[in-house]
Amino acid sequence: MKQRNIFHLSTIAAALIITMPLETLGDDTIKQMTKPQSTIQFGAGYLSDDNARFGQFNGLRDEGAYGIFNVDILRRNDDSGTWFKIIGRNLGLQNREIRLEHSKQGNWGYSIEFNQTPRYEPFTAITAVEGIGSSQLEVPTTPTTGNPTQLKTEREAISVGINKLLPGNFELNLHFRNEEKDGSRIFGRGNRLGAPSPTAVGGFEFTPEPINFTTRQFGATLDYTGKDLQVTGGYHGSIFLNKNSALHINGGSDVGGAYAPSNFSPIALPPDNQAHQAFLSGGYSFTPTTRGTLKASYTRATQSDSFFPTQLSTPGIGSNLGGQVDTALVQSSLTARPLPKLSLLANARFEDRDDKTPVFLYNPMALELDFNGNRWSGLNQPRSFRTWNSKFESSYALPMNFRIIGGIDYEHWDRTGLPATTGHRSTTDEISYRAELRRTLAETVTGTISYIHSDRFGSHFLTNRTATGDPFFNFIAPINLADRKRDKVRLSINWEPIDPLSVQVMIDESWDNYGHRAGSDLGVQKGSARNYSIDAVYTFSEAWQATGWFSRNETFLDQASLTPAPPRQLQERWTVGLENISTAFGAGLNGKPTDKIDVGTNLEYSDITDKFNQSVITNAQTYTAPNINFQLARFRLFARYAIQRNYGIRLDYILDHFKTNEWTWNSNIPAQNWVYTDGTQLTQDRSQLINFVGFSAYYSWQ
Amino acid sequence: MSRQIKKGLLHLLPMLVLALALGISPNSEAKSASEDADDESERGIVLRKDRECTDCHDESSEYPILAIGKTKHGTTADSRTPDSCKSCHGESNDHLDGETTMPMPSITFGKNSKNPIDERNQICLNCHQGGKRMHWLSSTHANRDTACTACHQIHAAQDKVRDRIAQAEVCFACHKEQRAQINRPSRHPIREGKVVCSDCHNPHGSAGPSKMIRDSVNETCFSCHMEKRGPFIYNHPPVQENCAICHNPHGTTAPNLLKVRSPFLCEQCHEPNTHQSSPATLTGYYRRNTLARGCMNCHTQIHGSNNPENIRNEEVFQR
Repeated sequence: MKQRNIFHLSTIAAALIITMPLETLGDDTIKQMTKPQSTIQFGAGYLSDDNARFGQFNGLRDEGAYGIFNVDILRRNDDSGTWFKIIGRNLGLQNREIRLEHSKQGNWGYSIEFNQTPRYEPFTAITAVEGIGSSQLEVPTTPTTGNPTQLKTEREAISVGINKLLPGNFELNLHFRNEEKDGSRIFGRGNRLGAPSPTAVGGFEFTPEPINFTTRQFGATLDYTGKDLQVTGGYHGSIFLNKNSALHINGGSDVGGAYAPSNFSPIALPPDNQAHQAFLSGGYSFTPTTRGTLKASYTRATQSDSFFPTQLSTPGIGSNLGGQVDTALVQSSLTARPLPKLSLLANARFEDRDDKTPVFLYNPMALELDFNGNRWSGLNQPRSFRTWNSKFESSYALPMNFRIIGGIDYEHWDRTGLPATTGHRSTTDEISYRAELRRTLAETVTGTISYIHSDRFGSHFLTNRTATGDPFFNFIAPINLADRKRDKVRLSINWEPIDPLSVQVMIDESWDNYGHRAGSDLGVQKGSARNYSIDAVYTFSEAWQATGWFSRNETFLDQASLTPAPPRQLQERWTVGLENISTAFGAGLNGKPTDKIDVGTNLEYSDITDKFNQSVITNAQTYTAPNINFQLARFRLFARYAIQRNYGIRLDYILDHFKTNEWTWNSNIPAQNWVYTDGTQLTQDRSQLINFVGFSAYYSWQ
Repeated sequence: MSRQIKKGLLHLLPMLVLALALGISPNSEAKSASEDADDESERGIVLRKDRECTDCHDESSEYPILAIGKTKHGTTADSRTPDSCKSCHGESNDHLDGETTMPMPSITFGKNSKNPIDERNQICLNCHQGGKRMHWLSSTHANRDTACTACHQIHAAQDKVRDRIAQAEVCFACHKEQRAQINRPSRHPIREGKVVCSDCHNPHGSAGPSKMIRDSVNETCFSCHMEKRGPFIYNHPPVQENCAICHNPHGTTAPNLLKVRSPFLCEQCHEPNTHQSSPATLTGYYRRNTLARGCMNCHTQIHGSNNPENIRNEEVFQR
């Protein structure tokens, strides 16, 4: 929608071009072609139907009329180089933004911006939970039919920036941004209502999270820009404030006794935190063909939000976590062309994230068996890690505009921590080799073909243990830690068979092969991805151009685990072949049938399917996951008629259709719909079709 | 909406009205300057010395150039701006002397340019090498032979890639996979121009991976999702390591930009202990791992919990 509301100045300018030699043009015409121009656009539009998807981020959700108001005010004093700009977008809608800039180019400048972004939850909650949006919820004790409730969050940000050029090629920049995010979003609490058992039922309650966040970012940089040396140093700060530290929930079901989720109150909400960074970044050109860069930064992030009162907190833990994470970063690179045909690049990066949060015993009962027979450490768990990245690349020019490139990338992670319910390894390493052949500067066909092979490995997996010290499964190598071999091929071709036609083809395929824990064949197995696309642009004339594109994206991932059927010897291996298959295409036509008329039309269609291909031996009829399909079709049309050079009218039309069979919350089979223990259900219209028609006028001046 | 922001808006409205008034009124200063015919003839049409070029390159030319006068490059009061077209296109003597045949200028930037991309980019870097472009030469864009003019329109009144609504279209000229992903049901508001590529990536290179604007993936995500930063009493390790282990920020079919739907996502790491290894099902006891929020129906504090109360939190994130 928003795209249609924007008034493209460049297009308007094109509409005003007079094809006459310069010497025959008057001052006004030259001014029109060479000086900044201001434009306002105003009008109204009508949305044909209620919807949840089309209006998710722009507020165009409810059938009815909406205002269209965009403004571009651009003034420049040519003698002083002073600019005054006001850019306003979607001022008649909920996703409005407006920016004011005043600057003397090459001397000073400041800007103020307001930006509003709504996000409507695409599912409607039918709920009897009261107090939504606050930190005090009332949840029914028995299943209760409620009323439709629309969850929503909205961000409103104000930003200010100031810059000043100083003598000696220095420039000072200051920035500040305050964002308020308010509303509520889906959240919940739940638990199994009994001892561990595959037949233990659960209790689940709908407890929307109140969102009353303030985030602030601010900083200052001092830049030096010389011919060979450029340096930037500065400070960046960020602060997060949450007006609610805990969610207090009254009511809820007490079925399950000690296991009932109603025991779970208060629930912590995100704590206030802040981070402060000092950084220095520089680049130096040693010779016209050799340049080095360096960045160093040090960040201190702290979290000392006061703990909220609880009944079971442990003596001696203090009034807050005292969280502190210090991160040091050094990154440097060197690029050189020692021979006219040879280019070299070397890059190294080191990051040390040191979590210095003090460790306390937060749960003195942790060493005793809990309801589920588990024991814990009772300690908080700061995590630190160090990463090293390095890269070397060389390229050599060959005849006929070919270039051959070879590169090696290396990444190393070093982590603290111990295994718990998942596997853990202290270090991982990944090395990648890349070879590429590229052709540029040719008139008809240019392109690239590349091959990358990467190999990830690491230290041994630490042994997970139960409370009694027995090994705890040790079957799964987590996807981000597992050994992995990856091969990737990428091909891109730009082809201009005839002058008005250009064609672009891109193909990439990758294959992943994951390693497993010793003696296990569970966890992620193999993966692959394929992306194909073809784009074409045909220029009929200066006035008419057509575009078309097609994309096919496929990802596959096989993984395996064991069914949850204690005692363990009854567990059975099951597998899934996860597939995500997407087909999308688009077509557009833009033209100018007369000097006074511009038209444009655009069609996009996406069809995306998730397939699960689940294979289970026992209870195969229960363990099923139907494919999920999404379809999105969007047709847009605009027509603009210039009544005079500087004013005219515009018509916009949008058709948007969203369709799905998603079963996450509700499906075609009511018995399978998710119903919270308190009676809450979430629903969505599975086929949403809207029409939007906008009619507006524009006026331009200089 | 907070009172402060409402106040801010109220202050902005008069500014808008004032600006409209200022903008519509005649530009007396500019007019007086243009009335000085002698100065104007000396200055050229759009740059300080462009007469040699604008005598031919008007808007009827195959290569119209006058719109550069509307840009910052065409702001001649700023002494840093190019003196003439030759500042970027070279002396171009053959081009200027041509009569029947017209060789190209010394340096061109269009699709049929014969100049190496390094040479073309160096013209821009001569003035634009500092600040946010400090790391350009070591960036993947530079090393994949990306010309500055592949993304930027120097002569256009509005450079498309610097317009938040149009920017993604420029990036999608190469990044086709992301073009498809932004139409998935779980997405950032990229189509609406409220989140754009350059909010997260610095296309000119950075010290972070994938040209992130901050020093790491997580630091970049925290710019807008600071509530996930912690640290918490109970931390979920992959959250601190890299948000992209679980999320694909460009768009997914699973809710909340998750790469894979629950329970399969969680089972890519978690051991097959009782309930946490169930296959997906829409019926029976283990539908709680698949439907609604899936595993997060119970483990609701998946990014970490700061609850000092000492039960059902360590490693289970229920409170």
